[in-house]
Parts: sequence; C-alpha cells; structure tokens
Amino acid sequence: MSLGAIVGLVALNLWLFVVGVCVLFGLRGWNSWVELGRLSGLAYMCGVGSLGIVWVWQLTFSIGMSLATIFGSGVIVGVAAVLVGLRLGRRLPPRPMLRMPPLRLSLVAALFGGLTAVYLEAQFRAGRLAGLYEFDAWSFWVPKARAIYYFGGLDGQFFQGLAGQSYPPLVPALEAAAFHFMGAADAVTLHLQFWFLLLGFVGAVIGLLAGRVPRLLLWGSLLLVLVTPHVVDYALQPQADFLLDEFFALGALLLAIWLRDRADWALCGATLFLAAAMLTKREGYVLGVCALLAAVVVTRPQARSLWPRLVAAGLVAAALTIPWRVLLVARDLEGGGPEAGGLGLLSHLERAWPSLRLTLSTLFDFHIWLIVVPLLVLAILAGFISGDRQFSGYAALLSILCVAAFTWSTWAFPSLPITKAAAVNPIVRFTGALVLATVWLVPLLLADARRTEAARR
Amino acid sequence: MPRVDRRQAGVLLAVVLATGFGLVYYAKALAHLDDVADTNSALSFSDREIAGGNSMIVNQQAAYEAVALIPPTAPYRVRTGPRLRNATPLTLQYVESWYRYFLMPRRPTLDARWIICYGCDASDLGPSYRVRWRDDNGISIGRLD
Repeated sequence: MSLGAIVGLVALNLWLFVVGVCVLFGLRGWNSWVELGRLSGLAYMCGVGSLGIVWVWQLTFSIGMSLATIFGSGVIVGVAAVLVGLRLGRRLPPRPMLRMPPLRLSLVAALFGGLTAVYLEAQFRAGRLAGLYEFDAWSFWVPKARAIYYFGGLDGQFFQGLAGQSYPPLVPALEAAAFHFMGAADAVTLHLQFWFLLLGFVGAVIGLLAGRVPRLLLWGSLLLVLVTPHVVDYALQPQADFLLDEFFALGALLLAIWLRDRADWALCGATLFLAAAMLTKREGYVLGVCALLAAVVVTRPQARSLWPRLVAAGLVAAALTIPWRVLLVARDLEGGGPEAGGLGLLSHLERAWPSLRLTLSTLFDFHIWLIVVPLLVLAILAGFISGDRQFSGYAALLSILCVAAFTWSTWAFPSLPITKAAAVNPIVRFTGALVLATVWLVPLLLADARRTEAARR
Repeated sequence: MPRVDRRQAGVLLAVVLATGFGLVYYAKALAHLDDVADTNSALSFSDREIAGGNSMIVNQQAAYEAVALIPPTAPYRVRTGPRLRNATPLTLQYVESWYRYFLMPRRPTLDARWIICYGCDASDLGPSYRVRWRDDNGISIGRLD
C-alpha cells in the first residue's frame, strides 16, 4: 500500500512496454516516431500478451519465477522479436525527432481525451486503496499468484487444492511479477496493475482506430463503454475476466483490420492476442473460435487464399496453449471442459432457452451495460444497409457467435443457476468480451456506413 | 441546407445516443468512483487488508495473531466447531479457505501442529494442545507440543 509499491508497478509496466515495443517492431515496425507514440498502447498490450504466454510456458516447464527470470524472459522475447523484424526488413525511422512535431489536436480529441484522462484518474484513485473483496480473487486468483511469488512456480499443493484448477496461470503469473516488483504480496496495490491494463487497452484501441474512423465516433463509443456500471465497478478487480475481454477485443479488432487491409502483421497480432486470451481463461478458447469462425465465413469468396492463413492463425494460437494442457493431464488436474460433457447439451435441452434468455437479458440490461448492445445492433443494421458488407457480416457473425458462446456457458454447466448473480453464474463477466469489442465495432461500422453513403453520392 | 437521408440519420442517432448517454453516465461514474475512493481511504489498515475476510473471520485480531504466532515455514490447520460465537453465515464454510489465502506462505496440512480453532472442541485436540491466544468468541490459536 506504499508509494514504493506503486513505483514498482510503474517499473514492471515500463518493462512490459519496452518488451512490447520490440514485439511491435517484429510485427510491423513503424514509419515515424509519432506513429510509435500512437501505437504505444498496442505495444504495451503486445508486451503483456507475449510475456504472459512466455511466463505460462516458463512455469509449465518448472522454471521458477523471479526478478531475474522476468527480466531474462523479457530480453529473450525482445531480442527474438527485433531479430525477426530485422529479418523481415523492418528498419527504424531515420532518426528520432528531437523537436516535437506541431501538435494538431482537434477539439473533439482534446475534449474526449481530457474526459478519458479524468476518468482513468478516478479509476486509479478508486483502485489505489481497494481491498480484496471478490470471492474468486481471494479464493484462487491471488492465492495462485502468491504461491508463484513465494514458491517460485506452480506449487503442487496450492494449484491442486485451489478452485479453478483448469484456469491457465497467465494472470497469476502477471500478478506474481507485480508482487516481485512491489517487493511484497500486496493484494491492495495489486488493483493498480489492472489499471495499467485498462490504460493499455484504451490506448491500443485509440491507436489502432485513429485515422480509420471519425474522432467523435471513436471517442463517443469508447466513453460509453468505459462508463457502463460493470466496467466502472469491476475493471480493476484482480481476476482474469477483464484481461480476457481485453485480449479478445484486441484480437478480434486486429482480425477486422486484417480483413480490410490484408496486412499480415494484423493477423499475427490477432494470433498473439487470441493465444493470450486462451491462456488467460478457458473461455478464451470459445471466444477465439468465435472470432476466427466469423472471419472464415466472411472470407468464403477468397477461401483459397485466405482460409489457410486463418486456419494457421487458429492452430498457432491453440498450439501455444499445448504445454499447459499437457501439464493439466500430467498432474491429473481438471481439464475445464463443460460439465455436461460432449453431447451433454442434448440431455439438458430444457436449459437451452433459459440460457439464451439469460444471455440476452444480460447483454441488454441497462443497469449493467447501458445501451451498448442496442447501439451495436443499430450499427450492424446501418453497416448492412449502406456499409462494407464483409465487415458488417464479420461484426454480425462475431456478435451472434458470442451470444451462442455465452448461452453455451450456462447451458453446458447444469450446476450454474439461471441468474445474473455474479457469485453463482459468471454470465455478466463473460458478456464483457462482446461489450469491450463494441468499442471498435460500433465506430468502424458507423464510419463505413457514413463513408459508403458519401461515396455513393 | 444539406439534406440528411435516413441512413445518415441512423448514424447521427447512434452518435447522439452514444455521446449523450456517455456524458450523462460519465458524471455518474466519476461521482461513484469518488465515493469508492473516499470509502476505501476511510478504511483502517486492517479493514482494508482483511477486506473480504471481514464477512467471515469474526475477529480480525485472530488473523493477525495467526500471522504473528505461526512461523512462515510452519504448516497449520483450521478446525471449526459449534462453539463459535458471533459467526456469520459464511464463517464455517469459508474461513478455512480465507486463512489459506491470508496466511501464505504457510501451508495448510491435515496433521499440522499449529491449529487455528474456530469454535472447535479443544479437548478433541489432545492434552498436548497449548493455547497461545484466545478470544471470547471461541477462537483460539495454539500448538501441539
């Protein structure tokens, strides 16, 4: 709870950013230092995703986690990414500009940027001295992190005895890294690590969409999602749900960018984030399938050239989780599959409609997500009427598949009651994946509708 | 005056809705986050550190005594029983798992010599059980010598 702990967290996140910049260099490079500044949020999230994956591998192969290995793994990832970038012909811009370029800030960007900064500051103050009240947080997420911090690895007793055996240790590893940098297993200041993740996500979305959509569309949509009651109350909880949503939203956004630009770097980035999502929570597999399947369906006309790439992206993302799955089997831990089993859905048909109704009533619940989902529906309709059909199809399919996934999450687990009560059914947290994706879905859809209509004239 | 067709009107409507609701709820979000920050900063150190445990451990002092008495490398176990007073509906079900979180790196084991007794019958623990700390709620911490 001390200032030193906060300084430690700043250092950790600076390290994640530095590694992420190297990963971004390997992925796409940048044409100017201003462009790197614009993509700094994406770079940070690349650092979190790539180091998170490496830490899961490291722990799986019984390599202890310490400050030395945190720095060592970062150096390995960073150097490897830079070598890949050089090999692919990426070069740094001629020289860093010592003089600041003339600042061209629109009124909209200045106003909404200021509002967002004030909002993030308020989140920081609220999280700064927050206690650990959430049941899942103190019952297994943070204990797992403490076990990694105190014992160096996936301690047999704690990882077998705690709930959520099948959940991969990406978030506990990140929390353990935070403990190392804070110098203590401080569960109070730990909330601020999730503030950095929220900041990184916001920065990544803004950086990726800047120049692609009108500012008012981007900032309006972003602000609306940030002020939804669920995001306000739960964004900084030291659990895996929000990081899962953030990884998924970024992975699906990069897939959307790839669909438009056919830029290979975007598909590689999507693969990275979807793999990180799969290693954050088991729901990441389902969400990854939703994003990739939506992309596969809308690229049917170019199946021959595009499907192999999408299939490869899916296979690589899934392959990155194999060591963890092997460890689960080797240690005889729960696999995390649906309670009802493979065909068990059919023997619980009576839960199908209530599960779907629960999903829809959660997504459209004004007291949880305000009007975010109705707005998404409106944007998809606008996209179909006058926008880019392929992108509108991707957005619609992604939404429908996510609804199916949310429904399945209740239907396939008969022990879950049909309720939005967070203590007994994770449906509210799970629906956050689609809601965070609306941050970019809505502006892209509306910008398309607006642009295509203007071009038609 | 530029003509606005239905499609443009749809986009405009979406922008107005998003921005309008965003700004209204922005003010509410800031007020709420301010309240949360005030509430958190008004908490005592122990209330903040124990947090979720406050709804089940009955007496904060027990948690701090456990940290002080049980060496970090020593295993411990939590025994519950019907002699506990002022228990909450959550105490008997969750107190053991909360101590597992709070007392790390100490390990819970079934045959540990250190025992945190929540209303348990001390006579069941044997004659070698020496109480090091106890309170009026029936909570005690001791060791089998």
